[in-house]
Amino acid sequence: MNRAPIVLLFTVAVLVGVFSFHSSPVQISLGTIPVAPTTVTPPTTTSLPATTRTSAPRAATSTTLVHNPPPPPTPTTTITAAPVTTTTVPSSVRQATGGSVNYIFGILSVNVSVTKTKITKVSIAAINDGGNPRSVSIDQYAIPILEKEAVQTQNANIQSVSGASYTSAGFAQSLQSALTQLGL
Amino acid sequence: MTTSESSLAHRQIFHHEEHVMGTVVTMDLFNEGAPPRWMLTPIIKEAIDVLHAADAMFSTWKDTSFITRIRRGELSLDDAPVEISIVLERCRKARDISQGWFDPWAMPGGFDPTGLVKGWAAQQSLNVLERTGVSGAIVNAAGDIASFGGPQYGQRFRVGVTDPANPQRLACVVETPGAVATSGAYERGAHLIDPHSGLPVTRADSATVVGTDLSLADALATALVIAGEQALTMFSELSDYEGLVISDDGTFRMTPQFPIVK
Repeated sequence: MNRAPIVLLFTVAVLVGVFSFHSSPVQISLGTIPVAPTTVTPPTTTSLPATTRTSAPRAATSTTLVHNPPPPPTPTTTITAAPVTTTTVPSSVRQATGGSVNYIFGILSVNVSVTKTKITKVSIAAINDGGNPRSVSIDQYAIPILEKEAVQTQNANIQSVSGASYTSAGFAQSLQSALTQLGL
Repeated sequence: MTTSESSLAHRQIFHHEEHVMGTVVTMDLFNEGAPPRWMLTPIIKEAIDVLHAADAMFSTWKDTSFITRIRRGELSLDDAPVEISIVLERCRKARDISQGWFDPWAMPGGFDPTGLVKGWAAQQSLNVLERTGVSGAIVNAAGDIASFGGPQYGQRFRVGVTDPANPQRLACVVETPGAVATSGAYERGAHLIDPHSGLPVTRADSATVVGTDLSLADALATALVIAGEQALTMFSELSDYEGLVISDDGTFRMTPQFPIVK
């Protein structure tokens, strides 16, 4: 049963991406890779902490062009260099919970939050994997696949990793029914 | 004249992650120098569009995809895009080569080419990237890899194969001639169905196929994990493709030319 969280982890990460994509067109911005974000000092005109902006590239679709030589640290970088898209208006957030569906380890249902047509949060509303019901949030599970890949490739002098992917039709089904409720 | 090894090394000049086909696809380009953006951008965008077009055509869980409409009998092959016919032909070829262990026509719910389409789409996307003129490129569709070139002149890309017993680790490393596809019993995909019984059966923990084209490698990896090591015989008639089977006890069985490096 230990695999259940792992399967969900990947599925959640993956599906958030899938559905996020459809709500936002591909943006190929051949900008600089975020280099040494700790050296960026937010100007006093913004109240957003630096950590908020460094998490922005985690969005559904990210593109980076690696420059050589890397740009020197620019402590006075202005906030306009990094798009801040994390601002949400709570009143415009709509939520729905998808139907309970069978998945490989039991029964689950998915909760989704959307702002306009963009999915802002996906979480497990209920999960029953054999007498052990629990709620989990995407924050615990949505560890990007690619971070893991990056760690693996650095350690073995390899350029890529081949392996079976995790998918869960059950998760997709419940998420779809939640989105249908929201008219998406 | 001396040439230092580092001067031969290509840098990774581009990385992109695209969420498509129900998974994550990454693109990486390697070259000595970075070509101008105005040249790269339209080609990369086209390579991404190829993936979304394949998703729209072949997704079996999208109500409006061509493949769904064909499965429901609402659309004849004559009215479908040419890509459907191309994929069908690839499926026939893979079914023959795999001695029937890959058979999209035997799937419950009707014709289901899922086991080949992801690899085919990634290969199509990579073929577009060749027009960038860079020295090497990798398209990795959630663990199925299409590539050309290498990280340095005269070198092939090295690809880690996930350990089925512990997916956080690598079971081995291979030097790829282009394509690397892995199917695993740890993969919860609907396409790991034994075409002979219609039941979800696998006879290996994971199977990896390397070769020149990812659509065929993807289909054969699916066949191999279902059939187990008995199906390694299919590679004896097939040049340019090699197979590896990892059993549930951790045993490796592979064809003689399988390019394992450690």
